[in-house]
Amino acid sequence: MSTSAAGLQGRPAAQRRSRLDRIVNSDTFVAYTFLILPLLLFFAIKFYPVVYNVVLSFTNYDLFSPIQFVGLKNFRAVFTEEVTLKAIRNTIYYTVGTVPLGTALALIVASLLNQRIRGRIVFRTLYYLPVVTSVVVSSMVWKWIFSPQSGLLNHLIGYLGIPPQQWIYDPTLAMPSLILVSLWAGLGGNMVIFLAGLQDIPAELYEAAEIDGAHAWQSFLFLTVPLLRPVILFVVVTYSIAIFRSFGAIFILTQGGPMLTTNTLVWEVYMNAFGYLKLGKGAAISVVLVALILVITVVNFRVLREDEE
Amino acid sequence: MSIARQSSAHKNRSSFPWGLALVYVALVAGAMVMTLPFVWMALTSVKPDAEIFGQTLRWLPSDFDFANYSDAYASINMGRLYQNTILITGADVIAQILLGAMAGYVFARLRFPGRQAIFFALLITMMVPFEVLVLPIFLFVRRFPLAGGNDLFGNGGAGLLNTYPGLMFPNLISVYGVFLFRQFFRAFPIEVEEAALIDGSSRQRFFWTILMPNAKPVIGTMGLFSFLWTWNDFLWPLVIAKEERMKTLQLGLATFNQESGTRWAEMMAASVMATVPVLLLFLFLQRFLVQGLATTGLKG
Repeated sequence: MSTSAAGLQGRPAAQRRSRLDRIVNSDTFVAYTFLILPLLLFFAIKFYPVVYNVVLSFTNYDLFSPIQFVGLKNFRAVFTEEVTLKAIRNTIYYTVGTVPLGTALALIVASLLNQRIRGRIVFRTLYYLPVVTSVVVSSMVWKWIFSPQSGLLNHLIGYLGIPPQQWIYDPTLAMPSLILVSLWAGLGGNMVIFLAGLQDIPAELYEAAEIDGAHAWQSFLFLTVPLLRPVILFVVVTYSIAIFRSFGAIFILTQGGPMLTTNTLVWEVYMNAFGYLKLGKGAAISVVLVALILVITVVNFRVLREDEE
Repeated sequence: MSIARQSSAHKNRSSFPWGLALVYVALVAGAMVMTLPFVWMALTSVKPDAEIFGQTLRWLPSDFDFANYSDAYASINMGRLYQNTILITGADVIAQILLGAMAGYVFARLRFPGRQAIFFALLITMMVPFEVLVLPIFLFVRRFPLAGGNDLFGNGGAGLLNTYPGLMFPNLISVYGVFLFRQFFRAFPIEVEEAALIDGSSRQRFFWTILMPNAKPVIGTMGLFSFLWTWNDFLWPLVIAKEERMKTLQLGLATFNQESGTRWAEMMAASVMATVPVLLLFLFLQRFLVQGLATTGLKG
């Protein structure tokens, strides 16, 4: 990792170079000329917005009247008002309903695909399709599938003798419907991550287990799962964050309803900022959301580190 | 590895491989569930309305009706939507590759004051999702100085709202891209760079003439990811493009959703048209996706 100057020292060409040349070719100069545009952009779309959000969360800004600092009023509102408390509960319901089941399904599919079978790439591609499809398209297709009148799902459950349901229009079924869509949408991405992890496990381990008379499910539970623990934690963290962020599906499918059963924290951030123009409160909710993400990340990495020690 | 081989090669070598058959059955069933929404979307898009709202389930249309496609195309002015989306996506993909590569190279190979602090700050921001920062970025774009009738302090006008630069803005660079390029460049043989520098090449020339032409795999990965992010982006265009002429494909599609959703066939036809370019690109470039996962160091 030596500098260019060190590499050139003692060479005649280098001695003829002017001081300006040396400055221009120094690591620091090159680094900052390359970084000037990226850093300006990161400042505008990352650093400044993070700080601005935190400051805004202590104000009652509404775009029109002058900004007033209101201390912790917004945060007190978040933790006392029924709507935001529901949003916290719904966010947890949504995450707990999606992440464990979705992670398990992705691991199982990846294990099935990680064998010498024909058409692996075709299967992988088909399972991955929902990941490359836009959230608007996939949510609209699911809205059509959920349609109470002529939707595909009601036709299909009709074959099983189950009466038609209201799905996303039913307060008790709206969140499970949203979870179903998120399971479908997230499976392929997590599966690919697990496939990459599985390829690092030496085949000899499975062969040894087989010789010792282990069943396939025993190899899965006692070899695959413990060896993939770091990858599982990675998937749990990224999948949880993806669920916390989920906006498009809620916008298209439920708009937070019916009866606030799918209004998550992200939905409340959006509605306060762009719907009710309660910018300060929206910022406070987003600070709470980021704090939740930090907690989940830190807890998971603690678990991971204890595992390694 | 385990299930198939065990059951097929175990004890009774000659009998039917039940375990393997079960694996195939499970995979095929899963693939059917995963692709059913796409199949249903395509089938709906060619059905006349009468066959959509029937009491009994009809899989295939009695007659393939492509009128839904032309109706959908005209009703949301898809030509304009494509034009906007291609322009915005193209600019963002190019910017994400160039800026990500430049910053990635700096963090991979150069030592300078502030390096650790800046890189650490960037990694921290990866945990703050865009959805949370939409409002401050929106205000920043609206108050962009001397744009859209704004004065030097960003007051008075609409800033970059309803403009291409405004729509492109938050996707011009990604922390993920910087990280991806950094990982790739760290693995690039240092001897090549040292040799070039000894031969009198500058860092800049080495970067543009040797490093970048050799970075095609990571450029492919980043190109695919940034294409998917910007082409499929919904929230940012939703808040920034309020005028009809500036809308993107995703926004245009969503307008079907707002009209109480009765024109399902047209909605599905428009969805097919907006998704086909993405699917083609994905099928064409999907090997880069697997390489990208390996490069980011997920595998330790």
